[in-house]
Amino acid sequence: MAAAAKQAQQLARQLFKLSVVDNVVSTDRVAGVLAYVEKHAPANAVLVLKAYHRLIAVELAKSEARVEHAGAVAPAALAAIAAAMTKKYRRPITATARAHPALLAGLRVRVGDDVYESSVSGQLAALSLSV
Amino acid sequence: MSTVLDQIEQQIAKLSTKAVKKNTGNIRTIADGVAKIDGLSDVMYNEMVAFPGGAIGIALNLEETEVGCVILGDVSKLKEGDEVTTTGKLLSVPVGKALLGRVVDALGNAVDGKGPIDAKETYPVERIAPGIMARKSVNQPLFTGIMAIDSMIPIGRGQRELIIGDRGTGKTTIAIDTIINQAKINKVGLASGDAKFRPVYSIYVAIGQKSSNIVRTVAALEAAGALEYTIIVAATAADNPANQYIAPYSGAAMGEWFMENGMDALIVYDDLSKHAVAYRQISLILKRPSGREAYPGDVFYLHSRLLERAARLDGKGSLTALPIIETLAGDVSAYIPTNVISITDGQIFLETDLFNQGIRPAVSVGLSVSRVGSSAQIKATKQVGGKLKGELAQFRELAAFAQFGSDLDAKTKAQLERGARIVELFKQPAFSPAAIELQVSILFAMQKGFFDPIDAKKVVAAAANMKNFFTTRKDALLTEIRNKAALDKDLEAKLQAACDEWKSGYTA
Ligand SMILES: Nc1ncnc2c1ncn2[C@@H]1O[C@H](COP(=O)(O)OP(=O)(O)O)[C@@H](O)[C@H]1O
Ligand SMILES: [Mg+2]
Repeated sequence: MAAAAKQAQQLARQLFKLSVVDNVVSTDRVAGVLAYVEKHAPANAVLVLKAYHRLIAVELAKSEARVEHAGAVAPAALAAIAAAMTKKYRRPITATARAHPALLAGLRVRVGDDVYESSVSGQLAALSLSV
Repeated sequence: MSTVLDQIEQQIAKLSTKAVKKNTGNIRTIADGVAKIDGLSDVMYNEMVAFPGGAIGIALNLEETEVGCVILGDVSKLKEGDEVTTTGKLLSVPVGKALLGRVVDALGNAVDGKGPIDAKETYPVERIAPGIMARKSVNQPLFTGIMAIDSMIPIGRGQRELIIGDRGTGKTTIAIDTIINQAKINKVGLASGDAKFRPVYSIYVAIGQKSSNIVRTVAALEAAGALEYTIIVAATAADNPANQYIAPYSGAAMGEWFMENGMDALIVYDDLSKHAVAYRQISLILKRPSGREAYPGDVFYLHSRLLERAARLDGKGSLTALPIIETLAGDVSAYIPTNVISITDGQIFLETDLFNQGIRPAVSVGLSVSRVGSSAQIKATKQVGGKLKGELAQFRELAAFAQFGSDLDAKTKAQLERGARIVELFKQPAFSPAAIELQVSILFAMQKGFFDPIDAKKVVAAAANMKNFFTTRKDALLTEIRNKAALDKDLEAKLQAACDEWKSGYTA
């Protein structure tokens, strides 16, 4: 079982590498990979696809800045954030807005598993960690 | 409307400067105090991570797609999907004298109901051991108060001496006796006003023991007046394995504070067998490859990096370690015992047979060694006890031989009689360590033959009587022995006279 999972993980990693072009997940390549898996049905295809899904999801998250704010976010602000993050991570990053009423004020931006907080609740949380 | 926009734009401007960056992940699975986490791509090995509700985790396994964390504190409210964040910090515990007299958990939180601890400083739990250049050789004694040990297997400050034996052979008792003895010495030394006196503070780390046992230990220390010089770190059998895994390192950090600040400390790890088991449990949950006895490959490093932290530092203080290992059926060749034996500077080996014969403390003199301590032994002990180990070895050989032949020459008989009396003399009840000057006096009396006319069965009573005689009537003499730490002609004469006086007043 453990060996099968490892094998599936390895294959998924290879497929994943094929799917990324210049640090960006390529839609065409993903379609190609899926067609290949469907046609050749490798051992433990479900395990492989699950692992592949996880890797692609993590990679996609790295190219997206999720902007959370208590109210609506202006398009100009989103564009500014996308530009700032693209510069910071040296890869194309798009910004999408998401309402987050629990934030008292300010912003929370998530890129991959990095979170930038300038919200009051975030600063409170940071403060409570540092004391 | 535009004010809202301004506000947002200001926030964006702040984003590069004021925004707090956190690296996060989500719990994928959680069981037995170990969580596997998606994300946390920036986490460092051994870094503290924060769980919701204030629980703290330590990143132990960094893998491609997940991070394995042990969780300290309450895990009952954590669930799959919860967000976890890195802290950029290594786990630290409070250190300092404020912890003396207290019982704390693996994170240094008070668990004795005496209120919070007012510690001014914290030290990281994991720390690189001092290098050889910073170390000084061991040459100051650390008296256990146990005659068999102080006279034949002496321990020095900064040494690592293993206490090993089966369950119920008196391992914990020896460690507690040693802590009590430090408290007794501290009281006398601090009262004497001697500026050169160096007290020894103790740290007792209980790993995987029943709470009732720990309560008993605390009560024994308190009854002996030793609690005020002692810190107790408790990770009980009921605590999750992560707490048991961390506790010895936390204790070591507390000990290091004394050492770094020019003081001497003693740390007892009771016991490292249970520590290894807790680590094995964590490793199995983390699916690390396992080897001999199902322990992970780095179990040697688990204990070597802990025990390496005991040292005597040039220009600073010392940390002496007494790790305890519990064997099964006296098997010292099992994996964990052999590892720890190879890391320490000697071992005190306790035997079930001896214990059952009533020879307590059940120290096997033949199998016990101290590789560095003899350079720390005071001259007086060497003078009266230097030949003891050899005498006892000879006695055991002769005793085995004597079972076969009945015709023994007078010399052999005398040796047997003497040996039997030494064995009796070394019997000592639990929780009654003897001061080194008293030990010297008793051994002097033995070497001068004062116990020879006494029936072997009555030697214990006679020795107790003599101890009482010296402590109540010869206080000045004892003080002189303690201060001179060597027997000159004058002291020998005084000791001889005192023994004569005792003899004339004693009837068996
Ligand atoms: N020197 C001693 N004299 C009499 N009883 C002792 C002595 N040392 C230990 N005992 C008793 O033996 C029992 C086991 O001792 P303990 O130190 O708990 O063993 P271990 O830690 O090796 O399991 C305890 O009840 C203790 O009181
Ligand atoms: Mg014990």
